[in-house]
Amino acid sequence: MFRTAFAFLKKDFLVESSYRLSFLFNIFTVLVSVLSYFFIDRLFGQTIVSHLEEFGVNYFSYVLLAMAFFSYIGIGAGSFSSQIHNEQVQGTLEAILLSPAKIYTILFSMGLWNLINAAIEMALYIIFGVYLFHIDFSKINILSSGIIMLLSISSFNALGIISASFTLLFKRGNPFNWIVGTMEGLISGVYFPITILPDWLQFLAQFFPITYAIRAIELAVYRNYTIMQLQREITFLALFSLILAPLSLRIFSLSLKKARKYATLGQY
Amino acid sequence: MESIVTVSGITKEFRPPLSLRSLLGLAAKNITIQALDNLSFGLSRGKILGILGPNGAGKTTLLKIIATLILPDQGDIIVNGYHTGKDDEKLKSFVGLILDEERSFYWRLTGRQNLDFFAALYGLNKENTRRRIDELLDLFEVDYADKRFDSYSTGMKRKFALMRGIIHNPELILLDEPTKSLDYPSAVYLRNFIRDKLVKKEAKTVIFTSHHMDEAMEFADIFMILRKGTILGMGTLDELRTFVDKPAAGLGEIFITLTKSRYV
Repeated sequence: MFRTAFAFLKKDFLVESSYRLSFLFNIFTVLVSVLSYFFIDRLFGQTIVSHLEEFGVNYFSYVLLAMAFFSYIGIGAGSFSSQIHNEQVQGTLEAILLSPAKIYTILFSMGLWNLINAAIEMALYIIFGVYLFHIDFSKINILSSGIIMLLSISSFNALGIISASFTLLFKRGNPFNWIVGTMEGLISGVYFPITILPDWLQFLAQFFPITYAIRAIELAVYRNYTIMQLQREITFLALFSLILAPLSLRIFSLSLKKARKYATLGQY
Repeated sequence: MESIVTVSGITKEFRPPLSLRSLLGLAAKNITIQALDNLSFGLSRGKILGILGPNGAGKTTLLKIIATLILPDQGDIIVNGYHTGKDDEKLKSFVGLILDEERSFYWRLTGRQNLDFFAALYGLNKENTRRRIDELLDLFEVDYADKRFDSYSTGMKRKFALMRGIIHNPELILLDEPTKSLDYPSAVYLRNFIRDKLVKKEAKTVIFTSHHMDEAMEFADIFMILRKGTILGMGTLDELRTFVDKPAAGLGEIFITLTKSRYV
């Protein structure tokens, strides 16, 4: 398993490092994004102060952490699907699936590089936040943050595997990518606290794990909330993981079988 | 003689590509294409089987089904004692499929880096990978393995496809139009390599598809003439001559007689 995972990691690193400018542009993208929210905060930050009281921070601090966190788990969720699509387009998916490596090992290994990239992106958000904008992370509860992170990764990776199943079967027009990439941005509190939203959207937000994850990470990082204080969020995230993880693997296995039956593994 | 591949009653129909509409039962009933129709045969270890047939005969589909990339609708395939669909992971170690696909490599990596990656997927450790890659590069007389894949010619890429297909030393080698796009010397070299090195020396079993009668004649021990997913004839050249009742016929004539083709 480790040999396969390392082989994917090495291959993806070699491919990505052959596009030298790409990494540099990623850094600038993060910086531009941070700067944009900094100025949005200066313009409109005061108007949503009341919605941020429970987190004890201004809009810029709130959105920076949410973006950093979402960039990690969001990219993680999309990584399986995008990797499957890339391998289909490159024509290498069939060659990979001809090997006797276990399908779940292949799937996990395919997502590794993107997860590492996402971790670097998250670190960039934090570094810019601390060193350029002097955001105070000193109240962080490390244990709570770690648990939230793990549970979020688990439920988002499960969503990512379901998303990859759609890509395997339908190639494009993946509804899960849309939900994770677009819909969750609107209703889950990444760009603003969900208390701003109308009631019906707040109700809808309860069905997305990211809603619990964002609220919990904000409280753990800025308000030093303990596991006990975040009981509700942690329970929901754990439930999402417990339900989604086995479900996603089953769905992927069925999709692979269907793609083999329709002889569309290599098509895109 | 011991049979390495046994194909029993394989049937495959192709339906239109899967869509959400079809999955929800909203799409109109579409025409299906019969790719393989109740195909059965066996192949002994150390033999070369050449599958001949016009375009759309089902040749590549058959290879992909044996290699577990496509699931048949019906039937069973046993390779080295392992059943497709049941023992896929074990079976894959015994099979090497070389498709007529230039695209199936990472073009921004070197040839060696590509082989290194696929060797890892086949479970070769670092030392064995290095040894095996050097051995294959030597065998195929390749001295450009450290150049980027996108700088290779079609023939060079083909050699890498073959090296990848046999990197794990499979017992059964499946080749889809192995000499397509190769110049004459490379094609002769490849045929000799498969015949002399892989089959005669290492007792590998080979199944290949081709449109070229001359190539098949030179290369195969047994021939299968396939059309619209049905075996029209299978056997050695002499057996096929007897089958069509033309004692002096060449493979081309037998092919025309069986497929009623106007061309070869």
